[in-house]
Amino acid sequence: MAGFVDKLLNIDRRWLFLLVFIGVALPIVMPIGLPVTTTASTRDAFEFIEGLKPGDAVLISFDYGASSGPENDPMAEGIMRQCFLKRLRVVICALYPLGGLQLANNSLAKVTAEFPDLKYGEDYVNLGFKDGAQAVMKRMGDDIVGAFPTDVRGTPLARIPMMKGVRSLRQVSVVVTVTTGIIGEYWITQAHPQSGVPVIVGPTAVGAPKYYAYLNAGQAVGMLSGMKGAAEYEKLLAAKYPPLERFYKSTHAFTATKGMDAQTVIHFVIILFIIMGNVATLSQRAARRKAEAR
Amino acid sequence: MTPHVDLGTWIAALLTLFALSFLYKDNPLFRFTESLFAGVSLGYYVGTTLNQTLMPNLINPLIHDFNQSWDLLVPGLLGVILYMRYLPKAGWVSRYALAIYVAYYIGLDFTRRLHGEVLPQLARAIVPLSHFDAHTIFYSLVFAAGVFSVLIYFFFSKEQDVVTRRVARVGIYFLMVSFGAAFGFTVMGRVALLIGRMNFLILNWIYPLFGIR
Repeated sequence: MAGFVDKLLNIDRRWLFLLVFIGVALPIVMPIGLPVTTTASTRDAFEFIEGLKPGDAVLISFDYGASSGPENDPMAEGIMRQCFLKRLRVVICALYPLGGLQLANNSLAKVTAEFPDLKYGEDYVNLGFKDGAQAVMKRMGDDIVGAFPTDVRGTPLARIPMMKGVRSLRQVSVVVTVTTGIIGEYWITQAHPQSGVPVIVGPTAVGAPKYYAYLNAGQAVGMLSGMKGAAEYEKLLAAKYPPLERFYKSTHAFTATKGMDAQTVIHFVIILFIIMGNVATLSQRAARRKAEAR
Repeated sequence: MTPHVDLGTWIAALLTLFALSFLYKDNPLFRFTESLFAGVSLGYYVGTTLNQTLMPNLINPLIHDFNQSWDLLVPGLLGVILYMRYLPKAGWVSRYALAIYVAYYIGLDFTRRLHGEVLPQLARAIVPLSHFDAHTIFYSLVFAAGVFSVLIYFFFSKEQDVVTRRVARVGIYFLMVSFGAAFGFTVMGRVALLIGRMNFLILNWIYPLFGIR
């Protein structure tokens, strides 16, 4: 027994990597379809956007990079789909320097292809990337054109029909910040107090704990926490909109719901590791005490 | 190479494998990928900032509408001055630009911290218990006990006595719970990134390679 415990405690960590690798790969190859339950913070975000009227402006800020795409992309795309189905005007911008704009372009191209009747400049606009997140938000609170004189294509905002009634953040019904790092916090702690614009935050799971404080204080109206939050949102969308139910069931592309199968399997594997590690340590400690008592 | 998988997917797949190879042990392929990633990131950052920020917000207005935009020369000049630090004799000039930059962000961050963090969080911590149901009252009491005990734990101006030490101990338990939650979320986040890469490798690279849909 003691020999087995020692072996367990000194196991080459690469075996654990291999187990994690298999644990992630298997559910992707053979999807399980585990159920996803929704949480209040995600439902609040969903219901807030559901409560908006057609024509209301929603600003979606891509404040993340490629490294957190698997968590953040499904959030941004899910919210865009909801906005387009509700005929809300969608304003896209990116404040994260390392890939935010590219991811915004990718997601926008992907989702607008699903809604061929949408017109650029009337239903949605892409403002592009701007450096200096805090300063940009400060300016947008007073004057969006001051921060973004042109859209991503170089067209002055004055010539874009849907931006005529959207001069500052005060005319935006909600800001959705899909975020990694601190930029999401800036929307909540700077843009919201300055202009009063409600904020929905979609952080990565790593960043989610700190946003609960803002959520509890009513500084954010809803939150999608990591891949789980995105999967919850997909479930709410599928329940509300039959076309999206068909889409999420049939798509070959990556969705958060599919990712949650692997996430759940890996959590089981990690819990197993934790239990095994603790049992082995306690057994070793007990054996040592026994030996000392002799 | 099969016609099902384009060159970009091949490059991305191989670079992903090179990056993951570090889990086995450090190797030249990993170091090549690491350096390539750092270089591409920097190039992307410079290109995007030039095209998306400097051109539309500074250079184009100065070229096309100088009479209305001449004031942009001031921030533009401050930006250039920042780089004077690389000239040994004129390096001191960059401090003026840096001072203005720092002062702007201190002013901005000061109000942000106060109006966006301290005051709303303080207001949330002081709630009347009379208007809530039993569940909310219990939740609020736990919340208040957590805030109070953690604040006591971080109060370093006076040596702790028997009472404050016990309260601080409760604060430690609250902190441990929060660290545990944060760790759980961190694991979930990191696994999500692995899921994303594995999805890419399996669904976008291996499946098309073998003609599987």
